[in-house]
Amino acid sequence: MQLDVFSVFCETADHKGILFYYSGNLSQNVVAAMGDALKLRLEEWGAKGGMARKLFSGFIEMMQNAVQYSPGYPDPSGDKIGTIAISKHYDKHYIVCGNLIKKENIFRIQEKLEALKNMSLEEIKLAYRTQLKNEDHDKDALSKGAGLGFLTLARDSSEPMEYMITDVLDHAELAVFFLKTTI
Amino acid sequence: MNNFYIKATADSPEVNFDFDNHILHIAGEAYPENAVKFFYPIITNLNNYLQATSEREIAVNFHLIYFNSASTKMLHSIFGLLNKNAQSNMNHIVVNWHHDEEDDTVLEFCMELKEDFHWLEFITIGTISAH
Repeated sequence: MQLDVFSVFCETADHKGILFYYSGNLSQNVVAAMGDALKLRLEEWGAKGGMARKLFSGFIEMMQNAVQYSPGYPDPSGDKIGTIAISKHYDKHYIVCGNLIKKENIFRIQEKLEALKNMSLEEIKLAYRTQLKNEDHDKDALSKGAGLGFLTLARDSSEPMEYMITDVLDHAELAVFFLKTTI
Repeated sequence: MNNFYIKATADSPEVNFDFDNHILHIAGEAYPENAVKFFYPIITNLNNYLQATSEREIAVNFHLIYFNSASTKMLHSIFGLLNKNAQSNMNHIVVNWHHDEEDDTVLEFCMELKEDFHWLEFITIGTISAH
């Protein structure tokens, strides 16, 4: 990379209010290390308790979703990869994340997110409470957590979550899943 | 009974169950890669202790500042276990719930537990964060 290109990249990121950006391999160790770095940055920005907590929580839920569910990149190394950014525009913060998913899971993801889009905060909180007490969740073979990830993100988002799914060139079985929350 | 201790890591909390003195302490952050796997030995040890304990004063000192969604589910199960035991073994279980005054999420979770588990006594203790 030419330094002038990099300089423009940095300037653009700064101008667009990007506070935190990562693109690369994903694992629990990477998530924990980034989590520590993010906490320090949140302190530097003077994010207040509730705001800092929601940004940190959103970051962890999205990253752990990516670690748990995204298939490894088919070539060359098979590692899991993903991208995350936190940005600020006036008094709003945005968390955006992109990672690979299997195409066969698109319907399941869409179904969950479309349902959440049409729910009020009260309804989201009620659904969260119901799922928290759901003793049958173990029977959901596809879930690797508590079934609370999207609900937690939706609960903390001040605007309906947005998502987008795009194709992956040369890999018909894969798609890229993008998610955005507002804090 | 052997006391139970787990050291904190970047993504998992410190757990100190002083069974001899009936003081159960958990502090830090909980977002391990696999919450079920992480909490399994905690729940097993806690369960053994509770089975063998009755008509006691038990203090739960809760100092977690962050827990992810999968850990939240496990914590809900733990408090369910305590609640059942308070009733069946006539233990008086007091939960000292420490939380950051500015962080509603931790306090809200306490309120939910309070609603779900009537045999537990919850005392909320707000602290002012450094920033």
